[in-house]
Amino acid sequence: MAEVFEIDKLNYSYGDNHVIKDLSVKIPEGKITTLIGANGCGKSTLFDLITKNLKPRSGSIKLKGKDISGIKLRDFAKQVAIVHQYNTAPDDMTVKKLIGYGRTPHKSFITPGSTEEDEEKIELAMKITNTEDYKDKAISQLSGGMRQRVWIAMALAQDTKILFLDEPTTYLDIRYQLEILRLVKRLKTEYNITVVMVLHDIDQSLYYSDEMIAMKDGRVIAQGEPEKMISQELIKEVYGVELRLTYIDGKPFVLPI
Amino acid sequence: MKSKSRTISAFIITALLCLGLFVIAVNTGSLKATPRQLFSGLFIEYDKTVAAIYDLRFPRIFIAMLGGAAMAVSGVLLQAVMKNPLADPGIIGISSGASFTAVLIAAFYPQLFFVTPVFAFFGGGFACFLVFFLSWKGGLDPLRLILVGVAVNAMFTGLMSCFNSATGSEYTGAASIVNANITMKTWADLKTLICYAVPGLVLALSAAKRCDLLGLEDKTVRSLGVNVNGSRLFISFAACLLASISTAVIGPISFLGLIVPHIARLLVGSSHRILIPYTMLLGAFVFLLADTVGRRIAYPYEISASMIMSVVGGPFFIILLRRSVKKNG
Repeated sequence: MAEVFEIDKLNYSYGDNHVIKDLSVKIPEGKITTLIGANGCGKSTLFDLITKNLKPRSGSIKLKGKDISGIKLRDFAKQVAIVHQYNTAPDDMTVKKLIGYGRTPHKSFITPGSTEEDEEKIELAMKITNTEDYKDKAISQLSGGMRQRVWIAMALAQDTKILFLDEPTTYLDIRYQLEILRLVKRLKTEYNITVVMVLHDIDQSLYYSDEMIAMKDGRVIAQGEPEKMISQELIKEVYGVELRLTYIDGKPFVLPI
Repeated sequence: MKSKSRTISAFIITALLCLGLFVIAVNTGSLKATPRQLFSGLFIEYDKTVAAIYDLRFPRIFIAMLGGAAMAVSGVLLQAVMKNPLADPGIIGISSGASFTAVLIAAFYPQLFFVTPVFAFFGGGFACFLVFFLSWKGGLDPLRLILVGVAVNAMFTGLMSCFNSATGSEYTGAASIVNANITMKTWADLKTLICYAVPGLVLALSAAKRCDLLGLEDKTVRSLGVNVNGSRLFISFAACLLASISTAVIGPISFLGLIVPHIARLLVGSSHRILIPYTMLLGAFVFLLADTVGRRIAYPYEISASMIMSVVGGPFFIILLRRSVKKNG
């Protein structure tokens, strides 16, 4: 199995607060991998480290065998796209213009005109995310679910084979949550994009992921296919609560009550 | 984003207003010349009145326009870089930092007159650095930034007044910077301003895309492969340059960099590739308007353009402040 990311003995601390402790993990190619863990377990920090928003104290993160500290931000952006949890844009920005920003790593600041390729990628990103009908609307006019699709479209316009999503369903109601998760699944199956995401909902993680990584106190405590990995004991260890498991059509679900 | 036709008409109307105001400004004072007389006096044959106007009023008018454009664009850049619609080079102390160093040069090394803008730039840059440094706490809180800026501004203004008083007011060069008086400006002053302001404006135009990107969250900008801090530094550099040089020539002007970009955004939207050029035009118009009104309102006495700007700008700032407080919680 090929890996897109290989993380070895990673450490990070905010002052005295040691958030990531000797963490080693591999992220497989062509799959949906989900990070789960309680609040404050270090998953957001790990996310920021993998996406070059923070620099590790020690240890290494390799993207396809190459240490990311040696990859220029722009070159990294041509390989990895990220949708962060919290996003803002000027109120009067149109959907199409925002999605067009996804082309930024592919052009220079000096000649910012858009090429035919840029247009094609933007059109494709809008088609995949079903945002074409709204392309001339202002971001501020859209609902939360639509907005999230636009941010994903911007990342898709970056034309990368790896996509990171930080809590893509937070703040959305259930209908939009499913819409986003189904979109993520399509990205993998139809466009062969490797997806790495952070999710809070265990059941959604179990259902939509090919691989799960469970974190606690800055360490990875379990990794594997959802069905094989999940257990009452693991949930107790990760979240500190006793929850029952149930099986529907052979797939495990956690009762979050 | 506003519609294209609206944007184009905003440009055309403002340009026409600017032209009309120019003719009025030329005719404000004891000497008068009709547009026809002006045209023939400038381009066809020598005319004594036109020649006098050319020497006395033209530099002042052009300085007001160019300085106004520079100051307003500096405001746009600062607002983009600080993600704060209230940022203004006058309010947050860049202008007073620049004028403080300019006063020092005028008082102690008047022979360095021509490079005053360079020193002013160091002063303005230092003030900008102070504001950033002192208000940064894992991010820039809009109101904290303004508070720190006001304090930095007060400090430099105080220092400037100290030096001005301590060295005696006979140093008229220093006094004219302190009072933001552009009455006695000559073609030489205009040349100085052009030398520094035009490159600054070109720099600002080239920063348009970066300004647009900074409208997104820092993390998102970084995920697009853009060095966020590098872009901040680049834009701040251009903003400080523009604010400092115009301050060195026309003195500290408050609120211009606040009012003009705000109106410009309402008219042409927030895309910087359009906003920056339009702000130049509108900034030139507004400051020339302030100067012309100041010359007419109490004729034969003059009220300086910076005073007019303060009187009009103060209430405007309070309105914006109240609106932003409501928005932020």
